[in-house]
Amino acid sequence: MRVLVAEDLYLLRDGLVRLLEAHGFEVVAAVASGPELRHALATLPLDVSIVDVRLPPTFTDEGLQEVLRARQASPGLPVLVLSQHVEQLYARELLADGTGGVGYLLKDRVVNAEQFIDAVRRVSGGGTAMDPEVIAKLLTNQPVRDPVNRLSPREREVLELMAQGRSNAYIGQKLFLSESAVGKHIASIFMKLDLPVSDDDNRRVLAVLAYLNQTGPS
Amino acid sequence: MRSFGKLARWTYKQWLLAPLRCLLLVVLALVGAVLAVLGSVLVAAVVTVPAIIAANRRLAELGRRLSSQWGGVLIAASYPPFPADPVRREDGWYEHDNQLYRHPHVPRFMRRSASLAEDQTVMRDWLWLMVTPFVGGLAVAAPVALIVAGAAVAVMASSPAGVGGGAALAVAGFVSGPYGLRLYAMWSKVLLQPVADSWWRRSGIGRAFGQRWHAIWRGAGLAGLSLGACGMGLILVVVGVVSWGGLLPPLILLARPYLNHYRRRVDEWSGIRFESPYRPQPSPPRPEANGKYRVGRTLHDDVKSAVAMQRYGWVLKDPATWRDLAWMITAPVLSPLPIAVAAVAGVAFFGLVCQPLWWAPWAVPIGLIEGVWVTPWYIWYGVTLLEPSLAVVPSWVSPLIGLAATAVMVVVAPAVLRLRVAWDHLLLRPTKQARLAQRVHQLTESRSDAIDAQAAEVRRIERDLHDGAQARLVALGMNLATVEQLIDQDPAAARALLAQARDTSTTALTELRNLVRGIHPPVLAERGLVDAVRAVALDTPLPVTVTADVAGRLDAPVESAAYFAVTEALANASRHSGASHIAVDLRHDGERLRITVTDDGRGGADPSRGTGLSGIRRRLGTFDGTMTLASPTGGPTVLRMEVPCAYSSPRTSTS
Repeated sequence: MRVLVAEDLYLLRDGLVRLLEAHGFEVVAAVASGPELRHALATLPLDVSIVDVRLPPTFTDEGLQEVLRARQASPGLPVLVLSQHVEQLYARELLADGTGGVGYLLKDRVVNAEQFIDAVRRVSGGGTAMDPEVIAKLLTNQPVRDPVNRLSPREREVLELMAQGRSNAYIGQKLFLSESAVGKHIASIFMKLDLPVSDDDNRRVLAVLAYLNQTGPS
Repeated sequence: MRSFGKLARWTYKQWLLAPLRCLLLVVLALVGAVLAVLGSVLVAAVVTVPAIIAANRRLAELGRRLSSQWGGVLIAASYPPFPADPVRREDGWYEHDNQLYRHPHVPRFMRRSASLAEDQTVMRDWLWLMVTPFVGGLAVAAPVALIVAGAAVAVMASSPAGVGGGAALAVAGFVSGPYGLRLYAMWSKVLLQPVADSWWRRSGIGRAFGQRWHAIWRGAGLAGLSLGACGMGLILVVVGVVSWGGLLPPLILLARPYLNHYRRRVDEWSGIRFESPYRPQPSPPRPEANGKYRVGRTLHDDVKSAVAMQRYGWVLKDPATWRDLAWMITAPVLSPLPIAVAAVAGVAFFGLVCQPLWWAPWAVPIGLIEGVWVTPWYIWYGVTLLEPSLAVVPSWVSPLIGLAATAVMVVVAPAVLRLRVAWDHLLLRPTKQARLAQRVHQLTESRSDAIDAQAAEVRRIERDLHDGAQARLVALGMNLATVEQLIDQDPAAARALLAQARDTSTTALTELRNLVRGIHPPVLAERGLVDAVRAVALDTPLPVTVTADVAGRLDAPVESAAYFAVTEALANASRHSGASHIAVDLRHDGERLRITVTDDGRGGADPSRGTGLSGIRRRLGTFDGTMTLASPTGGPTVLRMEVPCAYSSPRTSTS
């Protein structure tokens, strides 16, 4: 699987490349600045890109802007955005186009290599990987009378994990539930939120994220 | 004309009832006028104003209702609501204008009186009551008079022609009845409709006239105040000479509040800003090594005499003191002109124009009872006594002369007021030097505030790092050292320690992230003020609407100060106000950044309580920014912040 890494700090870039190569990814480019990233995104055939939000030369949100631009040109281009901090604002921008293949994680999550690699795989497969912190914020800031507040605590837990982009199997394992029980919970959540039911995991996650995205305060 | 066309559709019943209604309206007009006159006499004798005004309002309401029912003219009423009742404090007292009262009656009365004094509808109702007998009253009196006269002629007449003429008169009375009612209603509308609907307000004439009319009295008011100041100035000079200047500083300090009051008046009446020009009071001297206090070239043993001496220098060396004094002494030079304008306008309008109109209610009873008839023109005769050559003018012309003189005064008054204010401007405004001295004082204060705040901030960061991330990294290092030891002997324990080390590093990262957020939030660095505020808005548990018109990035320190001011305001609003919605508006006009935070909570926020708002003020003060808070009880709370600043770079990104 061909991967692009855009990260300006040498230590982190090097570490990411090693980690990815150790897990059998082919790192086709490791760039350190915005213009390089733009060039790489435009020219290289990529299965997934791992991009830091803040990049030279401006050290603002260069990486995020490049990613958004590239995804505008080719919707669904799989991208995993990393940052030292997570913001609902950025998450909303990344999710706004409603196509999959998006990840947004704290850099801290790299520490847990297994889960990080899993997230990279999910994103490259068109799924999503949202940082638990983002999802928690999206959920806590729902308006008081919103249907989300009518969910049972267990359903809320399931929703939280599902919104992060996790599979049914993972959710069951994490919450000590059978996969069919997870499926029932999800069906109930979709009914309460009045969302269209779908068998496709990715489409389901996108529906939930779109829902959370629009109902939050703006 | 459309309104008159409607008359054709009136039923015969209405035509027949019209004269009766006219009669009732004539009675209402007469009763109203008598009550209004009685009321004004009572008000002059300082009897409860609100009760009388309430009575007048009821009569005006009756006039409105009858106008629409009988005259077919709808007149809207718009009375401002009565002010809220005084709120009982926790200690059982009632507050009004910095005074405490045991019972709510007095403050309620004062609040109502104050709001009525500013209420234009009060005067208009009153005017309507008093003038109606002469205008609208005549319109409804005519049909009644025609019928009565016709009936009288018909009864008394001996010839058929006379009977016929009388009948014709009576019929004319009946026919004109509805028209009289309509005229009455149209007249009532002139004074009883809401002020904003009247043509003189809509055409702008009312405003222009009002300003000039006010200028007459304001000029005289300022002249009067300055004459008072002149008296003070003379006392100051005499006392200063007698005491060899020794008593001057305390007396001058006593006079300053009066002059500042004058400045505020000029401010309010002319719209020209008059700042206080005085130098800020110096901080008290500190003891030197030998325990003495130095003021200038003199050493004082105790702090009291040092402070007194310092005050002496502070007051007497301030140029504003001497400019004040010069202004006080010269006050009589420019005072006569505005006072003369006001006197002429007063005599001309109230004496020559209003007095004859006002004559009937009081002179007729006197004449009937005493048999002495006062002439309506007696003010004019007073004027002719002063100027005998005017006696050739017939006295009935005098109201016209009065109107003309008033008009002339109305025209010249603004110029006279401007002249007065220009003179004040010359002496009472701070000089350039005084302004600089004040600025230095203000900068010194805001700088020391900023330094204090910065020092406290650095101290907090140091403590957070020391107790947080630093300690965790030490623990991490120790863990790894232990792992190194254990890795061969006890791999299972080593693995557990490694997991622990990973957790420690995650916790340290979280702490660092929170710390960084407190120092300079990453979104602010990455996106600038507007998006950073949007990000905070998303994280706030209440719905927050953010609107913005900021075309680029601002200087980083200003962005940071503004950002923290907004977060503080949002935190306050969501914590204390009980609001259900907050709106943040950010705007930059090329020179200043204006931020408005509005919440729909319960209001009553007090900047002197709590550190949040004063913190905002201090943060913005470093950049010469200002903060104003409007938070009436019951909401909404509006916090306005303004910081002068320029763009640091035009926006580059597209979002």
